[in-house]
Amino acid sequence: MVDMAVLAPTSISEAFSADQLPDFSTDAYKDAYSRINAIVIEGEQEAHDNYVSIGGLLPDQAEELTRLARMELKHMKGFTACANNLGVTADMPFAKEFFFPLHDNFQKALADGKVTTCLLIQAILIEAFAISAYHIYIPVADPFARKITEGVVKDEYTHLNYGQEWLKANLETVRDELVQANRENLPLVRKMLEQVAGDAAVLHMDQEDLMADFLSSYQEALLEVGFTSREIAKMAAAALIG
Amino acid sequence: MFGLIGHSTSFEAARAKARTLGFEEFADGDLDVWCSAPPQLVDHLQVTSATGKTIEGAYIDSCFVPEMLSRFKTARRKVLSAMELAQKNGIDITALGGFTSIIFENFNLLKEQQIRSITLEWERFTTGNTHTAWVICRQVETSAPALGIDLSQARVAVIGATGDIGSAVCRWLSQRTGVKELLLVARQPQPLLDLQQELGGGRILKLEEALPEADVVVWVASLPQTLSIDAVNLRSPCLMIDGGYPKNLDTKASGAGIHVLKGGIVEFFSDITWQMMEMAEMDNPKRQMFACFAEAILLEFEGIHTNFSWGRNNISLDKMDLIGAASLRHGFQALGLSAQIDSTPALTTA
Repeated sequence: MVDMAVLAPTSISEAFSADQLPDFSTDAYKDAYSRINAIVIEGEQEAHDNYVSIGGLLPDQAEELTRLARMELKHMKGFTACANNLGVTADMPFAKEFFFPLHDNFQKALADGKVTTCLLIQAILIEAFAISAYHIYIPVADPFARKITEGVVKDEYTHLNYGQEWLKANLETVRDELVQANRENLPLVRKMLEQVAGDAAVLHMDQEDLMADFLSSYQEALLEVGFTSREIAKMAAAALIG
Repeated sequence: MFGLIGHSTSFEAARAKARTLGFEEFADGDLDVWCSAPPQLVDHLQVTSATGKTIEGAYIDSCFVPEMLSRFKTARRKVLSAMELAQKNGIDITALGGFTSIIFENFNLLKEQQIRSITLEWERFTTGNTHTAWVICRQVETSAPALGIDLSQARVAVIGATGDIGSAVCRWLSQRTGVKELLLVARQPQPLLDLQQELGGGRILKLEEALPEADVVVWVASLPQTLSIDAVNLRSPCLMIDGGYPKNLDTKASGAGIHVLKGGIVEFFSDITWQMMEMAEMDNPKRQMFACFAEAILLEFEGIHTNFSWGRNNISLDKMDLIGAASLRHGFQALGLSAQIDSTPALTTA
């Protein structure tokens, strides 16, 4: 191909160094890990509780949702083992506070019997976020955590798929609620991401990569649900702009 | 189905295009927003060959803009994500256009086959370089005589001679066209010596040595920003084929007797309904396109679902023959001097 004088060689070497594995034994790494790991553990716990709750709104689906919920508990145990392996104590109070706004929105929707909003928050937003974050974490994880995370990410696709299928089957009746729920919750995800950008960077996870991969997964899920790419761009803008 | 992966020529152009396509919210976003934005499948199109065969295709905007070139990770992600989107949409053969194939090659993205849950199937992609090389050679063969240049007596300088397209052009011009002498220009000495040996001829020169001797100059390297060409030192007439990307040679070289032709551009025999080539600043966007894009269209017409152009220095004359014959059969024509609007600016020196 064409020689490319416009690409400075420095940008290439910088990028390769960013791909190297972090030193898992440093205090700085462990400190950042204590919060990121806690978020993951809390996220899996919330996911478990949320699927059980959604099962209350959809009694005919309760069995399937209980099965999904159980998987999340298994993930939680896996990630707890990752922290133990590094000799890190997860900062759970931080994680509870981190999840509070999204948790609160879910609980309100649950109280109002809004299945659509509950599914958007848990099965689409949180799952798409988890999938993209796990994908970005895997190449820079310690060998133990890497193996665990690779197993988890496969399961999360099952959960995302569950939400997609239900919303797709009911799109015409739930469309307006979905758009509204997106507007209220997508900005929260962006804020959550910004809040942990510094810790993620210590783990060699790049904020822009996280956001971009999340938006890719989210866009893909909404396309599957039946939105057009223009509608999704409008919905995504709710998180990106302003 | 064929696919084309492209991008806008600048951030401003991308914003304007997003607005006209109904993505107003993206249009308002800043460069950081665009860096995070996923690729978009923005256009479905149908193309009917001169033979009557109709095929379906899609245009994917990678949401990359040249302003992102200095951000290695962003550029890499943009290209790989666009390829992932093409594959997930079941597109059989997709051409990497503009900077995307340059990024793929220069950042060695062959190592990055796993992208999230998808393993990229390389056989679904082509750089389109074989067709580009063939079209450039065709442009030399038709436009030089039109300017009174007898190729059997002409010296042809190839700038970027050791690249994928450059080496193919050298091979063709020395073995098929039979030019008097090839002047080989590139940055690295060893590949130049290897190429000279393979060709069994050609003279290795520095750029400033080659230009005054050349009747035809084929540029398949991007131009250094600092490059200035003094028209006084060029032969007259001098045919310059601008085969690099982006195409900005006309801003560097102009003057009496200097004829700059956009290289590696083809024109289709009938109008194609798409919105994308306006972004690439084609003079006739309904019919003109990059030859690399046309390669994906040709491979789909011919039912050749394989990475026809891939890797470096794999372009054989046989492959150029094959794609060239298909190009003519299905109604493409290499861009000529007469098809260009104002191809020879009046008496200005660079």
